[in-house]
Amino acid sequence: MSSGFLKIAGGTVYDPAHGVNGERRDIWIREGKIVDPPSDPEVRPERTVDAADLVVMPGGVDMHCHIAGPKVNSARKMRPEQKRKAEKVMRTPSTRSGTMGSVPSTFATGYKYAGMGYTTAFDAAIPPLAARHVHEEFEDTPCIDKGFFVLMGNNHFVMQSIQRNEPERLRSFIAWLLGAAKGFTPKIVNPGGVEIWKQLPSGNVHGLDENVAHFGVTPRQIVEQVAHAVDSLRLPHSVHIHANNLGMPGNWRTTLETMKTLGDSRGHLSHIQFHSYGGGEADENTFNSKAAELVEYVDAHPNLTVDVGQVLFGETTTMTADGPLGYYLSNAFKSKWFSSDTEMESGCGIAPIEYKNTSLVHSLQWAIGLEWYLLAKDPWRVVMSTDHPNGGSFLAYPQIIQLLMDRTYREEMLKDVHPAVLERSRLGDLTREYSLYEICIITRSGPARILGLKNKGHLGPGADADITIYTPNDDKTKMFELPRMVIKSGVVIVEQGEIREPLTGKLLYVAPEYDASIETDISEWFEKYYSIRFRNYPVSLDYLHDPEEVSCA
Amino acid sequence: MLSLRYKADTSIPVEVEGLTPSAVRNMSLAEIQRFEIFHGNRKVPLAEFFDVSGDPADARFEFEGNLAGVHWIGAHMAEGEIHVRGDAGRHVGSEMTGGVIHVHGNASDWVGGEMHGGLIHVHGNAGHLIGSAYRGSQTGMTAGTILIDGSVGNEVGLTLRRGLLAIGGGCGDFVGANMIAGTVLVFGPCGNRPAAGMRRGTVGLLGENPPALLVSFRKSCVCQPLFLLLIFRHLQSLGFAVPRECWSANYRLYHGDHVAVGRGEVLIREREAG
Repeated sequence: MSSGFLKIAGGTVYDPAHGVNGERRDIWIREGKIVDPPSDPEVRPERTVDAADLVVMPGGVDMHCHIAGPKVNSARKMRPEQKRKAEKVMRTPSTRSGTMGSVPSTFATGYKYAGMGYTTAFDAAIPPLAARHVHEEFEDTPCIDKGFFVLMGNNHFVMQSIQRNEPERLRSFIAWLLGAAKGFTPKIVNPGGVEIWKQLPSGNVHGLDENVAHFGVTPRQIVEQVAHAVDSLRLPHSVHIHANNLGMPGNWRTTLETMKTLGDSRGHLSHIQFHSYGGGEADENTFNSKAAELVEYVDAHPNLTVDVGQVLFGETTTMTADGPLGYYLSNAFKSKWFSSDTEMESGCGIAPIEYKNTSLVHSLQWAIGLEWYLLAKDPWRVVMSTDHPNGGSFLAYPQIIQLLMDRTYREEMLKDVHPAVLERSRLGDLTREYSLYEICIITRSGPARILGLKNKGHLGPGADADITIYTPNDDKTKMFELPRMVIKSGVVIVEQGEIREPLTGKLLYVAPEYDASIETDISEWFEKYYSIRFRNYPVSLDYLHDPEEVSCA
Repeated sequence: MLSLRYKADTSIPVEVEGLTPSAVRNMSLAEIQRFEIFHGNRKVPLAEFFDVSGDPADARFEFEGNLAGVHWIGAHMAEGEIHVRGDAGRHVGSEMTGGVIHVHGNASDWVGGEMHGGLIHVHGNAGHLIGSAYRGSQTGMTAGTILIDGSVGNEVGLTLRRGLLAIGGGCGDFVGANMIAGTVLVFGPCGNRPAAGMRRGTVGLLGENPPALLVSFRKSCVCQPLFLLLIFRHLQSLGFAVPRECWSANYRLYHGDHVAVGRGEVLIREREAG
């Protein structure tokens, strides 16, 4: 009789959540979960994977990327010239064809994440109005578990509730909206700024205490109150914040103020690299790194977490719900531009750009990202991201790992960037090298813990059997870009870069409780202002593929 | 010389992308006969559609037959000479970097799309988007010469970056639109909105009854530019007929397009007095 066990035998295991640092262990899997070894020594596994001399880690978790939704699709359509020349993903008997470039097509996205050993990814900016389509797109993004953050920082109902000083109504609305979209946590993008952009030519806010016209609220209030609501709903992940003034010289003050505004509330500051700049008002000549100052604050405040948003040199496509930023970038790079206004909810800007190592600004952006990893004391609260595709592709993660683990490689690359980087950042003085244990934290265990995913990012009994097995190599790029084997929900999905079993992957969502009487209020609002009827808006559970609720503890 | 006689009769597109003189130069005839081309979405050996004979060593191809449904002839070629005795399909000489292509018949759309060098001479008419940028590209053709003896369609020389396009007959709308630099000369009648959005470069409208320019062009002067005569002489040396009346004519010079950089020039031939 079949035992149903899969055993990964004798691998060098990294499981930072349980303090396991490169120890030789066996891992037993059954029904998609990691389990205790069977008590009966006679039980034989159905299949044994010999992992001797191989490195075993939980599957990678990308907590901040852009892989679905209207902005991603617009960007796909916007770059035919890049797709035409990019690597082609050919059809195989078990997989679909696809296109690459900076914004890969849906199936290609899933295959490439899995091929690199990542098994979970969260899209960081979905207007809830587009949630239904995102779920459809996720169903076509195979191999990985998925979820998304719901844009709320410029939502009219949110701002109106804050204006009326009705925290109870705000909390209920957030809970309802997350449930209706089947999302994971609120995302606030340039709070208030996008709304001003939608009201005025070249409009934006430039600080936390500016007034958002018509609503009479400030960005500070939005940050504070949404963060507070998220905590009181006990959502697994904190509020996910893209602070004001992204990319602007001198924006570190705004970032620091945003962190202070959070007080004791939990808060995740996304792509923090883009928010760590010193220098004068919009003056590129004074541009410099303030990573150290911000790292110090984050180190001292355990309620705060960040992902880096590392920049890599080369061409990419920026996409953001920060409408005014999209306009700024398109002007700066004289490139194509897409802008949209999502009714009561959000904005969107898309522009192709190219990061060049000959540019001081781009070189500094590259260096500031690395500073964040290398200066931060607690790797559990600093997550690897490129803000794919904004700083670079998720396919650059292996290269970032090498930059962190291999000081010589980093110093070689530092020689090729703009020389002023050495004066304006501390990267040249940083000698730290990451260990495999720390890499494991910033790429899987840390993000899983920050997201509140109890079944991800570790290898203890009860965890999802999402496991990546690597062949050790001194060249860390090589080691991490081509895992020996990737196991997802107990199934071997990738062997040596080839997709074996393209599972669909689960959809992770939250369903916080709220006072149902708010629905009358919301439905009136919908009938008055929305282009879509209230009853057609929420995405029902039976519409989702493989949904898994993550509980609000 | 390698002779490729097209023997098929199919309404499904046949694509010969990659079949360049240098790609098959060192192959035996049998290998060339097995060269994979596309029939719709199906890969087939070249010999299924072509009688292949001769010798590829001198990097010279002679296509024969009605090749109007055969696309990508000479695309990406870097050297050698291709003669098409008959009509050709779309994307003739697309992205080519060197060598010469003669089409002794008509060609379809995208002749010399994003071309980077070499010469294409179509002795009949051609379709739309000759020497143009493919959709989405920031720059189109970057070097080379395209000569069309007959007429062409719309959007010729779209986003041209460098190189020379000469159209013996008429052209459709939006000739030289969004041009970055380079030269487009049209010797026949011309459609609407020539040179719209051009940044730099030269568009010559040398035929009868040129259309009104967009309001974002400004008249500069009437002149007889010497460089035009040099280009005419160059065209003649390539076997392209330049009408007699062009040599001594006066030209009205306009600058534009002022909605873009505005440093382009449009030359319009003045009708001879009397």
